[in-house]
Amino acid sequence: MPVLDRFDTPARLPEPDDAGRDAWSARVAGLVAPLAARFTQFFDPTATDVSADAVAPPIVWNAFPATLLQSATSQEQRWRTADASRHRQDEYCEWSVERDGAGTVTRVTFTTEVPEYYEHLAAQDPDRLLALYRELVGPHVQPDELIVGGRYVRENVHNRSTEGRLVHLVQRNNTLGAAIVLAAEATVLRHDAAGEPVTTAQALVRCGGLGEPLRNSDPQIAAATNDAAATGAEVSLLDPMGLYLDGLLTAGMRTPDGEDPATFWTIERGDAEHALRAGYAVPPERGYAVGDITLDGRPIRFGAQLADRVGVRLTALVDPAGHRPVRLPCVA
Amino acid sequence: MGSPAPTDTSCAAFRRLPSEALRPGAVHRFVVGEDDAVRVLTGEEAAAELADPFATLLLLRGVFPRTAGEVLDELDRATPADDPLRQGFFFLVGEGSQIPMSAATASVDRRLRFLATRGAGPDGAEVLISAFHPDEGDVELMAWDQRTGGFNYFQTVGATSAWVFAGNSRHALRAPTQGKGPFESHLSGNFVMKELRFPWLHWHSQAANVLPSVLPRDPPLADHPWVTGRDPRGALTCEVAVAKPGILRWTRTRFQQLLADGGVVEDPARVMVQVLGTPSVNLISSQTESRAAAGGVVDLPQTFFVDSEGLTEVLGLQEPPPFTVSGDLYTANLASFRVRLTDGRGFERAGDTHFAFAVPERAFEDRAVLEEALRTGLLTRRLAACLLMTDFPNPVFSARREALLAHVPARAVVTEGASSFSQEMGDAVAAAAEGTPAGSPEREFAARWALGEDFQASFDAELQDYYGAVTARLATQDGYDDVVRLAESRRARVRTMPISETPLLFARTDVPPGDRTMRADATIVEG
Repeated sequence: MPVLDRFDTPARLPEPDDAGRDAWSARVAGLVAPLAARFTQFFDPTATDVSADAVAPPIVWNAFPATLLQSATSQEQRWRTADASRHRQDEYCEWSVERDGAGTVTRVTFTTEVPEYYEHLAAQDPDRLLALYRELVGPHVQPDELIVGGRYVRENVHNRSTEGRLVHLVQRNNTLGAAIVLAAEATVLRHDAAGEPVTTAQALVRCGGLGEPLRNSDPQIAAATNDAAATGAEVSLLDPMGLYLDGLLTAGMRTPDGEDPATFWTIERGDAEHALRAGYAVPPERGYAVGDITLDGRPIRFGAQLADRVGVRLTALVDPAGHRPVRLPCVA
Repeated sequence: MGSPAPTDTSCAAFRRLPSEALRPGAVHRFVVGEDDAVRVLTGEEAAAELADPFATLLLLRGVFPRTAGEVLDELDRATPADDPLRQGFFFLVGEGSQIPMSAATASVDRRLRFLATRGAGPDGAEVLISAFHPDEGDVELMAWDQRTGGFNYFQTVGATSAWVFAGNSRHALRAPTQGKGPFESHLSGNFVMKELRFPWLHWHSQAANVLPSVLPRDPPLADHPWVTGRDPRGALTCEVAVAKPGILRWTRTRFQQLLADGGVVEDPARVMVQVLGTPSVNLISSQTESRAAAGGVVDLPQTFFVDSEGLTEVLGLQEPPPFTVSGDLYTANLASFRVRLTDGRGFERAGDTHFAFAVPERAFEDRAVLEEALRTGLLTRRLAACLLMTDFPNPVFSARREALLAHVPARAVVTEGASSFSQEMGDAVAAAAEGTPAGSPEREFAARWALGEDFQASFDAELQDYYGAVTARLATQDGYDDVVRLAESRRARVRTMPISETPLLFARTDVPPGDRTMRADATIVEG
């Protein structure tokens, strides 16, 4: 596999010209290159050949925030809590819910789009940014609501709520940069105070100071990367680097008319392999709404009930190599 | 062809079938308790009895795979590319799967086994295959019967191409087959996924990967398609897309069949034993890795302290708070109770299971029965609440609650979603209470039954007081140590159940054996 020419946009979203493509690549390179310089077993695929033996294992976890499971008192309590704030949705996936006048859920929109991409749009072409917002949210979006004082506002008035239609990730840990840093830092092998290797997911995250041990995502990314590094391999993320939706499990869901509940899941940005945004909504001609669908016997009243079943994916790139890593003590 | 019936009526009876009793390339029937001996089914008999996709697409067409992998290959050959039976998952589970590989642990029997499923729809999988190796014999298979409902249970013995039909889910529910053969562990005729909820102790999952290094090397499995193709979310997918839909599907079907005769239920006790007793359990643990506990907080499963699945999720009563213990109290207890993992064959390692504090909880299949009994009108919310509130600090293995089975009416009739069964049973228990000593389960039930329909506030207050007492006890070393003693007595019960197949299921401790129960003031009683 030759050296990558440049980092592609998430899901290979189209850029109008080479300048735009180069700008995005430079943005990602600004994240990757310093980490590759710092961590021996983390590499920059735009600077290093990748051998034919390289593999690309997917790392998949669940969209519902695992941190809320530990403090949950009941199913409804955890669903309500997760639906109440985007800042709780910390698994590199956020969602927002639309309801009709009676409060019935009519649509849930999920996104894994990273804020860095929207900052890229704002820097490259504010008109494209505005057009995209108007496509995703509605025609009422105004430019000065998105860019204030020359800076793009991630958590702007159209992208901060769990109601309506969201645009991209805003939770502070839900960034492409955070995922890349985690993957890079997790290539460092660790041992505990007794000299025993630290390999299990939560212990590794605690030991290496790699994020939140009770999330789904951080321990998964860290453990997978660390396990690969332990074999002496070099690790990076597969291009196009990004977080992707990995589908909705619909077993146990029942629709009023017997229609396959999977047909209501629509990828709205990206493609089947690299889904960035998806909506779950029933076509109007069917005469019922998402809230009329049951899930394990319960009607869907929260977006979080679907988040329990939505996967989020990051794909590693593991290139076999002959490193003989030395385990280091814990840092936390 | 026939052979004398083994006296063993357990699952192991199949492993002991004499090879000469099995004809390669034939369908056999051995429903333990119903069949005196294993026998070959004629084509007509097999077609009359079996209407699941495994039988209809393969066995009845003369296709007899020898291994789990061959089953999938043959299903692929028998179905078009877009058939749902081409869709499926691979899962990996093993009680020793989280013990790191080293020279000291190389000989540990990790009991790694695969689950492969085929058929993806709202009701879950149509075919489920369990095997220790994809390319070897001794395959166990369940497949949903499209004609009669329920799962048909099959298995092979060794590397033969002889398949044995071992019964249908309905055989789990009635004499003389219940509790025998596969229904020794599949007690209600369901697929058994012991660790059914996050973090799915022992399963490959998003919470804990099974690393390639622990896979068998002779023959090597790390690059096998069943390993490389295993579902990345693992146990979560199995829970959501296989186990729970399958359990709900059979429970719905079972009740439809139960009420098909004009709503007359001739043996309501078979339903009530799943409401009041603990015929089976699931296993639950902390979400915290034992090894990551020191200096932090260890969450403890709510369902260890109360049946919150039944009382809160189903009946809407007061929800429990999160129960936790400090990591320091937890780790001090590991040392003082000499908690260790052992495989019973020489391996021993100090410490707990991968995720801390593994304990039994009320089985999801029993909760499903409770919900279906409420939905169909067999049970009222009031009766269910009064029954489950009896001895509520002991959500599993409650002899007090189980004693109420003595008062189940012999018959029930459900008409248009309602039944007098609940009133009759409640009144029967209340009437019996007068002749029982103070503190009897009947008197406990009767006191709550007397509240009538307006019971919620009183029950919620009782639960709230209990939750407060538990929380207070968990803040002290003595209190937590007592909780571990109670946990150990419940684990000991599980170790006597067929689902306990290896010493690695739970950690071992130095806690002396003995029955223990929790009281409403959160103190533990011996005996």
